[in-house]
Amino acid sequence: MIEFTCPSCQKHYRVNDELAGKTAKCKQCGGTFQVPMPVVPAEVDEYAVSSAPVAASVQASAAPIAAAVVDGRGTSAILSGNTGNFEYEISQRPDFALVTVKMQQGQKVFAEPSAMASMTPSVTLKAGFKGGLGRTIGRALGGESLIINTFTADQGPGEVTFAAGAPGDAAYYRLQGNTLYVQRGAFMLHSEGVDLTGKWQGAKGFFSGEGLVLLKASGTGDIFFNSYGAILQVDVTDQYIVDTGYIVAFEDTLQYRVTILPGLRAGGKLKSFFFGGEGLVCQFSGQGKVWVQTRHVHSFLSWVHPFRPASKN
Amino acid sequence: MQYEILARPAASAARLTLQAGESITCEVGAMIAMSSGFNVETTTRNKGGGGGIVKGLKRMFAGENLFLNHFTATQPNQTLIIGPGLLGDIIHYPMRGGTLIVQGSSWLASATGIDIDATWQGLGKALFSGESMFWVKCSGAGDLFLNSFGAIYPVDVTGQYVVDTGHIVAFEDSLEFRIGKASKSLVGSFLGGEGLVCKFSGQGRLYCQSHNPPSFGKLLGPKLKPR
Repeated sequence: MIEFTCPSCQKHYRVNDELAGKTAKCKQCGGTFQVPMPVVPAEVDEYAVSSAPVAASVQASAAPIAAAVVDGRGTSAILSGNTGNFEYEISQRPDFALVTVKMQQGQKVFAEPSAMASMTPSVTLKAGFKGGLGRTIGRALGGESLIINTFTADQGPGEVTFAAGAPGDAAYYRLQGNTLYVQRGAFMLHSEGVDLTGKWQGAKGFFSGEGLVLLKASGTGDIFFNSYGAILQVDVTDQYIVDTGYIVAFEDTLQYRVTILPGLRAGGKLKSFFFGGEGLVCQFSGQGKVWVQTRHVHSFLSWVHPFRPASKN
Repeated sequence: MQYEILARPAASAARLTLQAGESITCEVGAMIAMSSGFNVETTTRNKGGGGGIVKGLKRMFAGENLFLNHFTATQPNQTLIIGPGLLGDIIHYPMRGGTLIVQGSSWLASATGIDIDATWQGLGKALFSGESMFWVKCSGAGDLFLNSFGAIYPVDVTGQYVVDTGHIVAFEDSLEFRIGKASKSLVGSFLGGEGLVCKFSGQGRLYCQSHNPPSFGKLLGPKLKPR
């Protein structure tokens, strides 16, 4: 929407963006004017949270109290582009992300069951096991379903819209022969060329309390994953710490270990571990990207718990 | 300290950038992610100051945790991302020596110059306001971060203002509130679903939240399996 006032009588107008630059007549005074161009908000890339300070950060200033709120516009921007395989769009971010993929005839995508929200009739859906029994069991251990739905655009070009089970954000990653680890339950869909398996994490996974397995995506292709809450991308250049419950995905160029908050182990500061609530964190080191979600389903569940009716016995 | 509030209003998170030696006190469990150059301490008291166990226990009654987490940067430009547990917004309130009364679960984090204490609002208010017995009283100077359930909106009160119970986030202590009926007759108040309301008087700023957590909980609870 473009908002402006008539230059002669100051009548306020709100018009659609496509009218920008058109000449129009004022309904009130009859004067003619040109509809101004829409004001594009300064693009601050808040989606990419870097470990270094960002120049765009707003300093806590002596501004009036009401105005001292910063808009996280970047987290609500529509993400779109061409993956090389197909065009995609992630809209309605960060609260109700929808992933739309436009497929050419014959193309396939593989999605978590029930992730499909709508699609054109040119796409056919086939549920089935993919990659044999071993892979399937691996995926099941990873907290994903045994079944992967295959969407094939076999009747001509088509479009499928996917959404996750919980309200939240979605993100896209292009695999180029490398590996991405995705937190249990965060996998949404992938293109051809991506190999998805569960990876046993041993004690690391055990202590994180988030399921034993991360999903391992490798190969060359596209993968989309989702979260509860918004997704923030962090470029790790040295070391970074994330609470285990908030990890969505990370690149395999990063080493990680599950630990209690560093600095707490020394000097009998174990109190922080037991009472500090931050319990276990994942300490990443090396260079690579981590995607972090801003909310955690478990917090919501533990909040709802006291509202449940008491059992009769 | 620099701050930025991302992904408002439902999935909001605050990204704080601290310089070496600066520290911030956060609600337990608020940390989402951080750089590696932080020293984390868990105590029952305000950073470097008084308080101790009694204040901690009072805070616990106010709906906050007995413990507080203090994050102190040991290197320059350390970032810390914090957020509340429930879906909702975060606001920054720069304190300049005054006092702000915060509803129990709305306090998220505060700079070290702010003293956090629990305050007693009186038995009648506690029983009927639908809020907790104690409130968190923040005084001093520095950055304060509050969170809400749903969206948050400020109201500048001059004279009187009425807020339904469960919708208060925080108010300046120049305001006072008492519990009253929503409409003239008591029956009418309850039939209207509003029951009792908080009537504010005085001059000052009040922050309200769009949604009331107990209402949502009572909506979900009966539909869930017994615990």
